[in-house]
Amino acid sequence: MSNRRVFDALVLPHLDAAYNLARWLLRSEQAAEDATQEASMRALRHIDSLRGDDARPWLLGIVRNTCFTMLERTRNETQWIDFDEAGFESALVQAPARDADPMLQLQHQRIRTQIDAAIRALSPPLREVILLREFEDLDYAQIAKIAGVPIGTVMSRLARARDRLRAALSSVSLGE
Amino acid sequence: MSLDDPNLSSLIKRHATRHAAPDALRAGIRTQVTLAEAGRSETSAPPASKRRGWLALRWRTAAVSFAMGLACAALVLPLAQRLDLNAPLDAELVADHVRALQVGPLTEVVSTDRHTVKPWFQGRLDYAPPVFDLAAQGFPLMGGRIEHVRGSVVATLAYARNRHVIDVFVWPSAAQAAPLRSVRKGFNVLHWADGSMQYWAVSDLERAEMERFAQAWRQQAAAQ
Repeated sequence: MSNRRVFDALVLPHLDAAYNLARWLLRSEQAAEDATQEASMRALRHIDSLRGDDARPWLLGIVRNTCFTMLERTRNETQWIDFDEAGFESALVQAPARDADPMLQLQHQRIRTQIDAAIRALSPPLREVILLREFEDLDYAQIAKIAGVPIGTVMSRLARARDRLRAALSSVSLGE
Repeated sequence: MSLDDPNLSSLIKRHATRHAAPDALRAGIRTQVTLAEAGRSETSAPPASKRRGWLALRWRTAAVSFAMGLACAALVLPLAQRLDLNAPLDAELVADHVRALQVGPLTEVVSTDRHTVKPWFQGRLDYAPPVFDLAAQGFPLMGGRIEHVRGSVVATLAYARNRHVIDVFVWPSAAQAAPLRSVRKGFNVLHWADGSMQYWAVSDLERAEMERFAQAWRQQAAAQ
């Protein structure tokens, strides 16, 4: 199979996961697009190293490293995040309810806003383990390989991140 | 109520936002891959025969042209999406900024002294906006005025930078937000919050200068 075919078959299906990770790590639409593009091209160049491995954690590892390199580059500057119109507006204005139960919709929207804000507020190393564990369902060994830290560190970071989220979400009502 | 790990997990899985890759990005990556592979095979794989090579070249040209087309689409699509008719908050503030410059008043209280500008807001607002003189950093205070934004009375400070004007809109809200930036009709808009106030700065200054201004403001605020 040509590189192109391998790329199309194994890498492209995980583009959403790649973009989602970059978007959450970099907290900016524009930066996330740049990182995803850069990581994809890097994945294409090193597609030979994929042999036999699961493509998703492999690609996420490349995306993760690209993002952290970009974060490192801008570490000493204030991180200005591109104004996210949709997110901001939905936080301000309640969306028109299409479903039968507007109360439930409103509550879901409020929970989403709170959870998103809590995850965004985590430091990048903690945010990273939460994203890989809860969004991508990777196991500790895979996360350890991607983050380049021992499994014990992954577990302690995960515990710390969960404590932070719990504290931030203590006011979220779960009555549903 | 305390959340255990499985509950927290399911809460995140069910409710946290998952961002899908934009179509333009997908198209852009396919294009780049096509271009990269076309370039690669040209150098690394010599054609078996002249005739086949010519054919391959034809196909390659077709592929590259197609890729270019995709690239154009990828560039134009996000632009088209930006033609949005609902005016979001940053656009509204840009409109306020422009109107103040066109018909005025840009400043209802004219002073470079923050001890004149700040008391002017007394009795006009139900909060006391912080006012800093940033002349030492190259952003002298020009004065202040009152704006109406989304039904609220909002303190607005004007600063100068060479011949540019920076408007800073300040209103009270404990909402914390990561610093935001955007561009509206060529105006740069920055937003930050400090836990008690929301700040929006609007100007035709270039972005780097604007960020320097925001930096100076935040340093001054931290030093208080």
